Amino acid sequence: MKTIEEINQKIRDGDAVVVTASEMTRIVQENGAEEAAKEVDVVTTGTFGAMCSSGAFFNFGHSDPPIKMSHTYLNGVEAYSGLAAVDAYLGATQPHRNPDIGLDYGGAHLLEDLVRGKEIELVAEAYGTDCYPRTEVHTFISLESLNQAIMVNPRNCYQNYAAATNSTEETIYTYLGTLLPQMGNVGYSSAGELSPLLNDPYFQTIGVGTRIFLCGSQGYILGEGTQHATDGERENGVPVGSAGTLMLQGDLKKMDAKFLRGATMPKYGPTLYVGAGIPIPILNEEIAQRTGISDQDIHCNIYDYGVPRRSRPAVMETNYQELRSGKIEINGREVQTSPLSSLKKALEVAQELKSWIEKGNFFLTNPVQNIPNKGCTVKPLQIRRPSILVKDLKIKPVITARAEDDISGVARKMVDDNINHVPVVDHAGRLMGIVTSWDIAHAVAQDSKKLTEVMTKKVIVAMEDEPVELIARRIDKHEISGVPIVNRENRVRGMITAEDISRLICSQNNKEGDSQ
Amino acid sequence: MKAWLNFSPSIVSKTVISDLIKHYDVSFNILRADITPKGGKMLIDISGSEAEKGIQYLEKEGIQLNPIKKVVKKDEEKCMDCGECVSLCPVEAITIDEEWTVHLDDQKCIGCGFCTSSCPTKAIKIAD
Repeated sequence: MKTIEEINQKIRDGDAVVVTASEMTRIVQENGAEEAAKEVDVVTTGTFGAMCSSGAFFNFGHSDPPIKMSHTYLNGVEAYSGLAAVDAYLGATQPHRNPDIGLDYGGAHLLEDLVRGKEIELVAEAYGTDCYPRTEVHTFISLESLNQAIMVNPRNCYQNYAAATNSTEETIYTYLGTLLPQMGNVGYSSAGELSPLLNDPYFQTIGVGTRIFLCGSQGYILGEGTQHATDGERENGVPVGSAGTLMLQGDLKKMDAKFLRGATMPKYGPTLYVGAGIPIPILNEEIAQRTGISDQDIHCNIYDYGVPRRSRPAVMETNYQELRSGKIEINGREVQTSPLSSLKKALEVAQELKSWIEKGNFFLTNPVQNIPNKGCTVKPLQIRRPSILVKDLKIKPVITARAEDDISGVARKMVDDNINHVPVVDHAGRLMGIVTSWDIAHAVAQDSKKLTEVMTKKVIVAMEDEPVELIARRIDKHEISGVPIVNRENRVRGMITAEDISRLICSQNNKEGDSQ
Repeated sequence: MKAWLNFSPSIVSKTVISDLIKHYDVSFNILRADITPKGGKMLIDISGSEAEKGIQYLEKEGIQLNPIKKVVKKDEEKCMDCGECVSLCPVEAITIDEEWTVHLDDQKCIGCGFCTSSCPTKAIKIAD
């Protein structure tokens, strides 16, 4: 039907018909793909989301005498400088070296400050060589003073992504935002029908070398991104989960802070909001049909991020029309949804790219090579030493108390058995609460007689099939000294304490020491 | 109307709030409160046909009252309209319009602070 060259000639002549992916969806719905393919030359896509796998290469230039930088800090954020003498790569998610600032100012914030033209403090250390004698540098740089500042993002523009909720009793903080307890909300991230790779789901036009909109400038696709996957489940031709990714390159010096923003996901860390838009040449009817995809046709699963494991359980399947409505029904209850990626900005990206093409300032490219659309899967990381599960631990027989027991009896049990925690159970051995030796001291001080007055009723627990690392984090997070182990029926099977965990680490270290 | 009530230590033991509700036709919602025997403050939202009289009564009883105009403020420069805050608001004071712009409704806001602590660009501030 059409070729890229023909479309570029139309762009040159000012005759190209360019529409955004949202407009194309309506056009295909109303006129059909065949008509749409004749009528439209280019569809512009857009996304503006948190893309953690982003960063930039810098070349600082040589000082006199010169230095071979081995540790490099920009406004206190470390850049990797194991590259020649004065090159470094700064990653968006790198936190500040000062733990008091930590997650509040990281690589992503630094990238935004650079693009805004701000002056940046550069501190570098080196071991010194005959040709690079200097061992330290402390100076100030700006985007203008850098020789190169090249954005290279290893994994951007995820084709689709999971939506997240949280079934636990407490609020959790994730890269998909703050998730309220008891599935109180849902976070999602894809720009849906506007999203680049959902409009070309088999990489028919998007390839190596494709010129794109990147953060307000013209950038390029280097190839498939890391974790690129092609063989997952599809519905209506598009993947229902994360899947394809892109590696992108652009010139930071030409970017606009309107389309590049440093952000911090609370208690998760810094991340870069990247505005990316890819033009899709409408070469034939099939490509037109694919760009006609609507939010309703794009499905995704809502996963329970309350389960901090690699495979999280799926709660339900949904689509982007539902998610974008702001409310969704989970288990018969209506909860609110949060987009996380800015749909307003995604649309701005698509519109900006559209106006560049209409004005003849942006031309389309033939891919230098295609990006694989089959045969790519993501392998998990195999840990040589598997996680030790709670049930693998040698746990002492558990000592429990009943709610009606008196305080002095419980105190005696603690002394006799040399323990500090006693789970309180009902007649069937189900967990009702927990008392610690501190609670007993408290009870004596306040002259309480009943166990129910002093026991903690909202108990943090461990399940038998959870890895011990998870329990260590839980104990630390809640600043407690131990948790009861319960089975699926909430029956108490034992106690795991901070002491048990430290003993386990010691014994593992000893074992490793023996084998080396 | 939303206002901070400042309690001096001498008023803390008096039942001013329950007397207010008994004697005047007012609707009353406590949004935040931090009161100890040393005094403290309470953020309230008061309305009803006798709200004015009720306020006069509070002042007569020695409670200093500071009306506030805005509970919540959004920095338009910092906000990216990402919508992270939307699903966290317990009173649906945050909405996204048809153009995907995020709006805060100051009238509905109860100042809980969920949105301020979750905002990726720290664009939302709760008035003190």
